[in-house]
Amino acid sequence: MTIEEAPMNASSRAGLRTFARSLSAAGILPILLTSLIVAMCIADPRFFGVANVTNILRNGSVLAIVAFGQALVLIAGGFDLSVGAIVALASQIAAVTMRWAGSAFPEHDAVVIALGVGAALGTGLLVGLVNGICVAVLRISGFIATLGSMSVTLGIALMITNGIPVYGLPQSFITQFGRARWLELPSAAYIAIAILVLLAFVQTRTALGRYLYAIGGNKEAAIVSGIATRRYQIAAYVLSGLLAAVTGLLLTALVGSGQASFGGDLMMLQSIAAAVIGGVSLHGGVGRVGMVALSAIFLSVLSNALNLLRVDSRIQPIIIGLILICAVALDEIRRRGFVHD
Amino acid sequence: MNIPSPATQPERIHFSLLQLVLPAGVVILFAGFALADPRVMSPANLINILQQTSFLFLFAMAQTIVIIAKGFDLSLGPTASMVSVGSALAMAALGQGHLGGAVIVAVGLAAGAGLGALVGAFNGSVIGLLRVTPFVVTLGSFNIATGIATTLSGGHPVQGMPELFFQLLSTGTLLGLPAPIAIAIAAGLALHFVLRRTVFGRGLYLVGSNARAAEVAGVPVRLILLSAYVLSSVLTALGAMILTARTGSGEPSIGGTLSLQSAAAAIVGGASFSGGTGSAGTALLGSLFIIVLSNGMNLVQISGYVQMVVLGVIVVAGVLLDRLRTQQN
Repeated sequence: MTIEEAPMNASSRAGLRTFARSLSAAGILPILLTSLIVAMCIADPRFFGVANVTNILRNGSVLAIVAFGQALVLIAGGFDLSVGAIVALASQIAAVTMRWAGSAFPEHDAVVIALGVGAALGTGLLVGLVNGICVAVLRISGFIATLGSMSVTLGIALMITNGIPVYGLPQSFITQFGRARWLELPSAAYIAIAILVLLAFVQTRTALGRYLYAIGGNKEAAIVSGIATRRYQIAAYVLSGLLAAVTGLLLTALVGSGQASFGGDLMMLQSIAAAVIGGVSLHGGVGRVGMVALSAIFLSVLSNALNLLRVDSRIQPIIIGLILICAVALDEIRRRGFVHD
Repeated sequence: MNIPSPATQPERIHFSLLQLVLPAGVVILFAGFALADPRVMSPANLINILQQTSFLFLFAMAQTIVIIAKGFDLSLGPTASMVSVGSALAMAALGQGHLGGAVIVAVGLAAGAGLGALVGAFNGSVIGLLRVTPFVVTLGSFNIATGIATTLSGGHPVQGMPELFFQLLSTGTLLGLPAPIAIAIAAGLALHFVLRRTVFGRGLYLVGSNARAAEVAGVPVRLILLSAYVLSSVLTALGAMILTARTGSGEPSIGGTLSLQSAAAAIVGGASFSGGTGSAGTALLGSLFIIVLSNGMNLVQISGYVQMVVLGVIVVAGVLLDRLRTQQN
């Protein structure tokens, strides 16, 4: 159950408490984001430059897409540490495929790109499927299963070309997709928005969405009420793998080469941070992709602001780590207050 | 629960058979690599294996302590980096003055242990007091410690430690054993005693196997969780300083893949993520397995990337084996 859905009481005190709760659940993040943006506009005029805003939106979108997948897995009561490694592997696979296809079908960029995209998505799907089977069928804890698959996936990504970036992608993939701006917005933003709309629909209007909440909220109850929990758990990991692969593709198209250094630990951590700050509970059963998108933008603005203010990049992980711990601690306290009522 | 149930005889035999899988695995691996490459059996390589095992053993024990309490320490690697840099910086700074080597080393060791205790206290208090999932708390401190390690060092190795530091923790010998091996044996025996013979040790197993029951039984759960994380991080600090002495400088990257490796060693050895099981012995066995494996793969020149894949598969297989073992019980 989400906190916002708590029944309204007639008494005004209860109403006030509900208001305070929904404020703490949904209100802190927009307020933080708005104040950060206002503060930055005053502190540094470069902040609102077109190049900088594009940059923020692009980074935020890339992070949001991975964080959506992470959120779905967390909502179902799991954990996906392998997302960063999937980004790396998908990028390498896409680039290697396109380089090969480019020599096999020159002049047919569309075919080449389609093959690369297909290979990357297939990779994400496969790793997600393995994760899902380890968790749902072999019943290994999600954390450990994906810790293992993270190592395997990254190892394979590095093995393919010994860690050397892969060039030779079709130019149209880079210029008309990766670095393109449509109506002033970066292409990544459109893809993130499309995925957001789709997932918001899945979460609120489909059986898959409802079942993921049910499984994460109370797995025993979900089993007893006849939900095929295994299938939906696997679906969550597969979606997470697919979305990580999409991010791998976006980064490949943006940079213009396939690299095993994309993603990695930092992106994995940031995806969990974005999900948790966006109100996804680590206990499962709670969270909305809309808030996750907002929190991805927040993290993107934050790191951009720290860069503009010339805060040492080595200090930035400290700040993200502290924010993450504060967010989970707040979630825990809120949850306990809710349970005690 | 850890209390041995009055198992019937056949079950017990089966259980001990599964427990033999790992020692047998170590022997078979070793024999296989020795056949593939005679250098595996050379005295220099054998000492190398023992040294490597003693490093990993310290970190695996650190990880095992929190795993017994149904926890996990993802920040172990960065903590090692932070301790390496911090203790080296302390010693290098003192080396500028006119203090004796012994004083400098004592301060350096204290600084390292103190930094470790600090991380442990942070992890332990957030996990123990707020009961937040250890995975995410230590994911947070993973970043904080990484940030501190790179900020303190500026990303560069820190040098300028006194000669005594290297003698004490790396090049010297104790009772004829190289210092790292002697220290690891001493730490292993100490941990074995703490886990088996003290109130804290018994409490730790109780908290790990059933925190609620432990609480009802009057065990100070929060205090035990806090102490477990502090003890774990102090052990990590000890391992980090030995690695620093071996490398010759304080390195912000010394922690590298230690979080994953220590977890792999602990789990492969037989500690269970469902809490309440594991010991100094399982940490030793797991470390030996991983080191024999990676030493052999290095000698027969398997690429580091393939080794990553193998390590990942082993972690998952280890957990799977553990599930079979607990089902058997």
